[in-house]
Amino acid sequence: MRRRRSLFIALAVVAMLAAVWSYVLLQHPPQQTLDQRVQAVGAQLKCPVCQGESVADSQSQLAQQMRGVIRQQLQAGKSEQEVIQYFRASYGDQIVWSPPWQGFSLLAWLVPIALVLGGVFLLGFVLREWRMVTPTGATPDDVELANVDEADLAPYRAQLERELAADDPIFARQSRMEAR
Amino acid sequence: MHFSDLGIIALMLGLGFAIFTGVVAVIGAVRSKPLLVSSAQRGVLVVAFFLILASLSLVASFLTHDFGVSYVAQHSNLAMPWYFTTAAFYGGQEGSLLYWALMLSVFSAIFALTARRAPAALVPYIYATLMGIQTFLLIVLSTVSNPFVRLPVAPADGNGLNPLLMDPGMLVHPPMLLMGYMSFSLPFAFAVAAMITGKLDSDWLRSIRRWTLASWTIQTLGLILGMWWAYHVLGWGGYWGWDPVENAALLPWLTATAFLHSTMVQERRGMLKVWNLVLVVTSFVLSIFGTFEVRSGIISSVHSFAYSDIGSYFLAFLVLIIVFSTALFIFRLPKLRPEQEFDSVISREGIFLLNNLLLVGIAFATLWGTIFPLISEAVGKQTMTVGPPFYNAVNGPLFVLLILAMGLGPLLAWRRTSTRALWRNLGVPAIAAAACAAILPLAGIRDIWANVGFAVCSFTAGAILYELWRGMRVRHSHGESYPVALYMLINRYRQRYGGYLVHLGLVLLAVGVIGSHFFQVQQDATLKSGQAMNIAGYRLLYFGNYEETYPGTDTVKSIMQIYQDGQLKGYIYPGRTFYQNFGNQPASLISISTFGLTDVYVFLADWNGSSQATIRVFINPLTSLVWYGGVLMLIGGVICWWPARRKQSVVDSVSPVAALATPAAKRGQTVSKVQDQSNGKTGVPAKRRKAVTAASPASSPSPGSSRPSSAGRVSNGHDDEEVVV
Repeated sequence: MRRRRSLFIALAVVAMLAAVWSYVLLQHPPQQTLDQRVQAVGAQLKCPVCQGESVADSQSQLAQQMRGVIRQQLQAGKSEQEVIQYFRASYGDQIVWSPPWQGFSLLAWLVPIALVLGGVFLLGFVLREWRMVTPTGATPDDVELANVDEADLAPYRAQLERELAADDPIFARQSRMEAR
Repeated sequence: MHFSDLGIIALMLGLGFAIFTGVVAVIGAVRSKPLLVSSAQRGVLVVAFFLILASLSLVASFLTHDFGVSYVAQHSNLAMPWYFTTAAFYGGQEGSLLYWALMLSVFSAIFALTARRAPAALVPYIYATLMGIQTFLLIVLSTVSNPFVRLPVAPADGNGLNPLLMDPGMLVHPPMLLMGYMSFSLPFAFAVAAMITGKLDSDWLRSIRRWTLASWTIQTLGLILGMWWAYHVLGWGGYWGWDPVENAALLPWLTATAFLHSTMVQERRGMLKVWNLVLVVTSFVLSIFGTFEVRSGIISSVHSFAYSDIGSYFLAFLVLIIVFSTALFIFRLPKLRPEQEFDSVISREGIFLLNNLLLVGIAFATLWGTIFPLISEAVGKQTMTVGPPFYNAVNGPLFVLLILAMGLGPLLAWRRTSTRALWRNLGVPAIAAAACAAILPLAGIRDIWANVGFAVCSFTAGAILYELWRGMRVRHSHGESYPVALYMLINRYRQRYGGYLVHLGLVLLAVGVIGSHFFQVQQDATLKSGQAMNIAGYRLLYFGNYEETYPGTDTVKSIMQIYQDGQLKGYIYPGRTFYQNFGNQPASLISISTFGLTDVYVFLADWNGSSQATIRVFINPLTSLVWYGGVLMLIGGVICWWPARRKQSVVDSVSPVAALATPAAKRGQTVSKVQDQSNGKTGVPAKRRKAVTAASPASSPSPGSSRPSSAGRVSNGHDDEEVVV
């Protein structure tokens, strides 16, 4: 009963969040200024004369000119992808700062993704294997302890509690409760 | 007689003693001759002495401006202040290698001086491994990369240091990062020794973990200093560019982090031994790979200060290490059996496995992206670049999952967690995440990924803070005031609560990264005297430029006033410095003003005369959190590492079964002997934890678990901690 109620609460919260998010996302479709669009395109391109800097970040003469070209082309109504395509045509593939989703460079993306997914499957498989070995979850200690009379263990438990209590006050209450 | 001659002699003697020590240590171990082992111990100290001597000689050559030494002439000049002249010691390749060898010898010496704490059987092999690495470095140092080589004719003045390196960051970042790289040698040496001797018991685990924690903390410090330096110097408004060299420094950090987590599984459950060894060896291999990558110049990077031909030496060393470690693995594998079985996926060990998968996944994706252009070129396909967009797309989601796992971890108990306990524990963090996910979009944050990231961060922060609060509350109910309770909690259970601080620091850092990645505002403007620009509520009023000339450098600075919401906040002076020795290569003087958690980052891009300037302004929200988070991570790391008082108690050493088995076992000392015998064959007393587990009270701070066991009560509250360190 209580569990069902908490499930309802969780569902209500999720529904409320979904409502908020969809409202916000539908209400204000993200609108980018020209500056931001230039920036976004520039961040996708590598500055050809720099070391490890994007066209958006670099202060080199060439990068500044390229930013100018991006701005012109975006103003002329080209889409972001078309501008990037333009630079790829004139500078080659290495101008794009992330490998394209095609041909050989698809491997750059797929190998890490495949590896992580493979890791998940492997993990699931290994865990199942491990669990099958001991379906009851009983360890050798458990088995051994099962044969020991609880009364025999009591003094050791008590000693453990005493030492823990001497070590740290947190454990003290527990010992008192045991005493009662 | 120059200082450099002394340096060469010291290097040669160091090399001789390193070889001697390695050989003697192995013979001493194989023939069980304690005298030879203690001779090796002294050998380690002697090697350290000679490396300190060699390093001092190089520093002396720098400080006496002995430009007859080629390395000194290349990396310093008369105009440099003494601290940069000293720092030029590691400013080039030869010197940084010498610094590395020095640090290795110092760490080896520290190990040798504290060797009695380490398992005795391992010590000689650890000496031998360390000295093997040292021998390699000293061979390189005394042949192809000798910092003491003299020029036929000494120039009147040297070249000076690369302008990008003439920064306070130079004094702290490279030494820390190089030390971090180097420090992975010690865990590696422990792993090699363990594989040779087959002794992977809890003593081994404790020692290797402390050394790995030290390496981790140093590497964290090095990385954060590097981020801070990049932010202050490079002028593109960010601190992490997924540059190949940055990646190389991150890789061993990631695998070392994975190792620190999975050792806990080995410690508690006796599982994952092979995996842990793989992680340690990988961390060391990756740190050597990083050096190889930086030094060989196979990949272009902003760190390309020092190319040379020693790349091939490092490649050969890399291959040697990999072959050697693999052979040892194959030799040792049959004996590395797990001692306990896995109970449930929804458990602490399950989440640790997930953590490992994610960390290794991030490390692999990063490595893959770094070397993919090389692979692509090698197979004759198109040349390509792999830059930040790739890493952000692949690693971003993995990091978000990692942070989520960080929040879930403390909520789960070892072995298995009942669904009810899990739901109960999820309450507070879930409320925190839901509140964040509801409020932020309404407050105007519209980016979906930023919202997901913030919600996950608040979930994890909620989980950690709630856990801290519960611990404090329990102690408070025993009469401790809250600050004392917090202190006692952290002081008593350093590993656990230090770890929470690290996690909290990482969450803060993540919030900072999300903030500055998604909400950075950038604007370029060309201003004439008296003109102003407005950006995101800030206003910059430009007055003019002025020039300053010092020996060797010229500086241009712009004078501006900065206003926040119409109020004058102060003057800023973004500028450029030109170093005449380097063809007037400029270094930027970036002005960063912090308002609350937001940085106003002003970069002087260009200027014309004294009354016109082109500036690039970034508003970086939440960037300060990156630094606060980094500091918190460091504090947490040090707390985890900090040695605890030596304590002896029955809790540490006995399980009820072992105690019952021997009627004579009454008190701690006797019992611990008995337990040594009973666990002697397997070597890993993972079972001893049972005693603690069974006895921990249900009222302890984490009543998260409910394992149906014969012992009745289970808690994950206070059983994480080493009782003896």
